[in-house]
Amino acid sequence: MSLEEDLRRALRRESPAPGFAARVLERIERDGEPATQVRQHSGRTWRAVAASLTLTALLGGWAFTVHQRREGERAREQVLLAMRIAGEKVRYAQQEVRTIGSTD
Amino acid sequence: MRKFIVALTLMLLAASPLAAQQINLDFPGLADRAEEVVDVTLDATMLRLAAKFLGKEGDEREIRDMINGLSGIYVRSYSFAKDGEYDRAQIERFRSQLGSTWKALVTVRSKTKDNVSIMADMRGERINGLVIIATEPREFTIVNIVGNIDIERLSRLEGEFGIPKISKDGRND
Repeated sequence: MSLEEDLRRALRRESPAPGFAARVLERIERDGEPATQVRQHSGRTWRAVAASLTLTALLGGWAFTVHQRREGERAREQVLLAMRIAGEKVRYAQQEVRTIGSTD
Repeated sequence: MRKFIVALTLMLLAASPLAAQQINLDFPGLADRAEEVVDVTLDATMLRLAAKFLGKEGDEREIRDMINGLSGIYVRSYSFAKDGEYDRAQIERFRSQLGSTWKALVTVRSKTKDNVSIMADMRGERINGLVIIATEPREFTIVNIVGNIDIERLSRLEGEFGIPKISKDGRND
């Protein structure tokens, strides 16, 4: 057989098997086109990033609030201590002045 | 532009006497020798924060009102195991920082009890700061309040406010 006849036979048009078109359409519907798949993946990724950032911000805010509360309570105690000491000394001085005044 | 600079300079010079004096409350080496130390350092920011956490009734409310507008509260108190553990010259050095605007309101001297000196930074009729110096043979205390404080209201504070003295090793007494 000649090369020409071989080529003619190999490149001969053939009809597809029955149901081929239906199978292809079904697969397209199931998997979607490649470009749609990429868009879905991108959307999911961005939502995950946004959720992570939100969670990080919330946790950071909570930690800051806890820290500030602790600092505030500590400052309150320090103010009370300082005022107690100052008040004691002032009262003592006033009392001594009154005592001296009453014995004069 | 030149007039603006001159006016600004004059304003700053006029305002400077109203500014509160910064007093050095460092006493090197005393904390190591003391049995008990109280060290309170509260600037304006910390006072504003503390005010948010003070109660709305009784003495805490009174204190909250009193500290409104103060620029700072500083306390150094040292208690020692024996007489003569601190150098009175350090107290005199501290006192020498107080400028001419400082006036002695009360001075109590006793051989057996506390010596107390209360001094106020007077700017006209207004008190701009208060210093209380209390000394005993085994203890001395300095309180510096920066800002306008009502001494009468201070003396009326009766309670301990549930705040114990903190000993040197951090235990509450």
